[in-house]
Amino acid sequence: MNWRFEKRKDELDEEIRTHMALDIADRMGRGESREQAEAEAAREFGNAALIEDVTHESWRWRRLERFANDLRYALRALRRSSGFSLTVIATLAVGVGATCAMFSVVDGVLLRPLPFKDPGGLIEIHESGKKGPLSYGSPYLDIDQWRQRSRAFSQIAFYNSNIARASFLEGTAGALHVGSATVSANLFDLLGVHPALGRGFSARDAGNSVKADDEHSLLLSDAVWRANYGADPGIVGKTVVMNGERFSVLGVMPRGFTFPFAGSNTNGMPLVWKPLLLKDEDVLRTHNAAPYYDALGRLRPGFTLAAAEAELKVFQPDIVKSYAESRDRENANSISLRGYAASLVNGDVRKALFALMGASALLWLIACLNATSLMWARALARRRELAVRSALGASRWQIVEHLLMEGILLSGCASLLGLGLAAGILKLFQHGLETQYKIHESLTLNLPVLGALLALTVAGALLISAWPTFAASRTSIDTALRQGSPQQGMGRAQRRMRTALVVTEIALSLTLLVGCGLLLRTIYALKHVPLGFRTEHIVVANMTIPSYKFAGRDMTTALYQPLVDRVKHLPGVESATLLTDVPLGNTFRMIFTLSPKGNSADAIRRAAIEAQFRAVSPEMQQVFGFQMLRGRFFNAGDTQTSQAVVVVNRAFVRAYFGDDRDPSKILGENLVSLGKDRRALVVGVLDDERQVSVAQSSLPEIEVCIPQITPESMFYKVAEGMSMDLAVRSEQSVSLITPELREALRTASPDLSASTFSTMDQVVEDSFGSQNLAAHLLEIFGGSALLLCLAGIYGLLSYLVAQRRQEIGLRIALGAQQWNVMSLVLRQAGWMLVAGLGIGLGMAYLGTRALGTLLYGVKADDPWTAGAVALVLLAGGLLASLAPARRAARVDPAEALRAE
Amino acid sequence: MMGRNGYRNRVELLQGTLDMLILRTLQWGPAHGYGIVQALRTQSGEALQVETGSLYPALHRLERQGWVRSEWKQSEANQRARYYRITATGKKQLAQDLSRWEQMVAVMSGILKSTPTE
Repeated sequence: MNWRFEKRKDELDEEIRTHMALDIADRMGRGESREQAEAEAAREFGNAALIEDVTHESWRWRRLERFANDLRYALRALRRSSGFSLTVIATLAVGVGATCAMFSVVDGVLLRPLPFKDPGGLIEIHESGKKGPLSYGSPYLDIDQWRQRSRAFSQIAFYNSNIARASFLEGTAGALHVGSATVSANLFDLLGVHPALGRGFSARDAGNSVKADDEHSLLLSDAVWRANYGADPGIVGKTVVMNGERFSVLGVMPRGFTFPFAGSNTNGMPLVWKPLLLKDEDVLRTHNAAPYYDALGRLRPGFTLAAAEAELKVFQPDIVKSYAESRDRENANSISLRGYAASLVNGDVRKALFALMGASALLWLIACLNATSLMWARALARRRELAVRSALGASRWQIVEHLLMEGILLSGCASLLGLGLAAGILKLFQHGLETQYKIHESLTLNLPVLGALLALTVAGALLISAWPTFAASRTSIDTALRQGSPQQGMGRAQRRMRTALVVTEIALSLTLLVGCGLLLRTIYALKHVPLGFRTEHIVVANMTIPSYKFAGRDMTTALYQPLVDRVKHLPGVESATLLTDVPLGNTFRMIFTLSPKGNSADAIRRAAIEAQFRAVSPEMQQVFGFQMLRGRFFNAGDTQTSQAVVVVNRAFVRAYFGDDRDPSKILGENLVSLGKDRRALVVGVLDDERQVSVAQSSLPEIEVCIPQITPESMFYKVAEGMSMDLAVRSEQSVSLITPELREALRTASPDLSASTFSTMDQVVEDSFGSQNLAAHLLEIFGGSALLLCLAGIYGLLSYLVAQRRQEIGLRIALGAQQWNVMSLVLRQAGWMLVAGLGIGLGMAYLGTRALGTLLYGVKADDPWTAGAVALVLLAGGLLASLAPARRAARVDPAEALRAE
Repeated sequence: MMGRNGYRNRVELLQGTLDMLILRTLQWGPAHGYGIVQALRTQSGEALQVETGSLYPALHRLERQGWVRSEWKQSEANQRARYYRITATGKKQLAQDLSRWEQMVAVMSGILKSTPTE
């Protein structure tokens, strides 16, 4: 655009020159002398520059030209004071970077639209009762009753999504690890998504389970179709092999479709869907006999969630009457509904994200205030320049335009830099974001993020330039020109304004820092919770088990025992153990309930015990160093042929007996059977340990010994084939031992080589969860805020000292001591700090409530944290004002007064 | 020196008439800016001196509206000059302007030449 503009200008120039030349030639032809002709032609032509200007206007590019001029002028002005410009840009970039990073996380976790039709109408249905909402789902009979009786739901689908566990789909290049969900026939219809190729499952009847014809069929996700079958358009009808079983491909779902929605527990694996066929046990009403399914309903238009819940609550007591056991009736006699979108993000995460978003916005505000303060100082210093410009005829609006243009330039540069910073922040916290929020991509420049960036840029530009511009446009030319030295620049009202800016900055920084302090104390408290086991020098492999390959064989003897023996003899390995899930691992959870014996009050209470179940090797104690409270742990003598034994923990004893006064009373009790006629005795009691999260105290737990479990045992199928971790204690570094372990796993079974490795320290750190991530992010935000705030104090005081040089010189000349002068400046700093901290403490008191549930071991209104943070800010602030104060004390009175 | 009186003797152009005059001049054939000024002066019997300050903005405005087109050519005096040429839409516009102008002249003269009746 610009070069075209220049070209046209040149052309107009030439056109005018031609006009003149022709005129001169004509006049000379009429006999005038050259000089005369030239003078006459020029006179007749008039003001060439004015004509050019008027003609330019007719191009309608005048505005653009002025814009370009403003831009050029602003660029020149900013380049001339590059130090100032860089300071402003860096300051703003910190704020924009933090806010942009947090916004893109919030956008990715909370604002992403679900790729389903009208996702707001998708509702999860949970039964609830004495123990609150049941997370494991509902039996088919209940779901079918809801379908028949409810008017609020137009459709109800059900599915079984044990997708955390890998299935092995054979393809051209080895087996692909996929997650497989078993779904009812109407699920995709309910979601409003239809296969891109082929067809979906057909329903057997109104109950929506799948017809028997479709039993051995499979729907592929687009990702699987591309990865495993090279996007073969003729895939429909072909036979594929998954977990050793043959399926014919019924269809392929559209690109990007995942259900359960990505971000839930898919471990990043692509998905396939299997048909949900009803079996005989689906219609049983005895305890734990019927399988449980997740139920998902679609609200009929016009019904609210509350209305639907109220409706189902009316039927539910009637529905549960058919349960055989009273405890089942009590646990499921009510209903709890939840929006599907809301269920994807738990409340804590949401809260943490909003708190962090708020923190980053605060940081942005602090950065803007700081930049405003800087711009202000500059506007005052340039008052004479601006006055000269307006004396030369620049309109007030033109001057405003110039200043705004500078603001936009600075803010724009800051946004670009901030974008880089945001990408950096996200990169730095990638691991945390992945484990906490299941965000796998880094900074994505989608529309909402770009929109937010643009909004920040414009708002920043207005914030930092509007105020100084307003002030500048109001200054009268006269006074500005007449004032002798720029030192008299700042009036009282303006000084007060800048002081107010700095005080606000201090207050906001204190709020941020108190939040940061509280989270750091939370992390400290979490790190000092006695876990009940050792964490150092333990490498953990979370194995993906190809259990189908061991069908008909005993995995204990065929896979696990040889693997452990092999790993134990690797060089540098002290001990190795298998266990269904390491403590705090949260990859596998099995809840165990006791069958009631008799009807005594005690028996009923015992039946209510829910224990964490874990199958382990005898070596586990050596690896983790659990403490035994009573009895013994498993040992090499516990085999398939010896007496079956179990170990419980202290919390179990407490739950079982109502107290734990004498834990040894439980030894010898028979609680479970490992198989037919294999009644297991309790042989030991473990001391308490943390299983689910560091912040959650010990839960009742029952452990069985892996070498004792045979394929006939009910534990075999649910535990060994599902999830198994290998934990290895070794003094060697993780990077050395991991490849050796991977090789050992690969030798045991090629599919195991895809297992994921971690260290126990990392597992513990990950289980701190949101707090850890939030604390680290807040450290960065708080640190930046502190620096900006101190820079603001320093900047203002330096400016004030420079401005009062003559006054200070006079004071010194009249006999003021160094200390008197210094205290003059420090007093000013003290005032600002005290005011800022006072307001800040109030704001922090209100603001930190948002952290509420994130905190552990410390209260939101903890006075010690607030006090310590205030002290740090006070000390920092005084330190920052020391340099200006000393500069003031060193003013040479002779020099300062001579400048008058 | 012509001074102020020189200007007074000239015809002041009514708003909008310059465009019409330029288009009319160009109907005789392409011309450059100086040529247009000269042609108007001759045709008006030296009474009309078009201000260059009005001419060039007008020419550029006409070009933007698509009524004239310009190209660089060698002039008779062997000087590179920008020649303006009237376009088909320009001709249509001129015809329209002319008929409106004639209408206005008729109306105006009807009023101006009528003798007041008591």
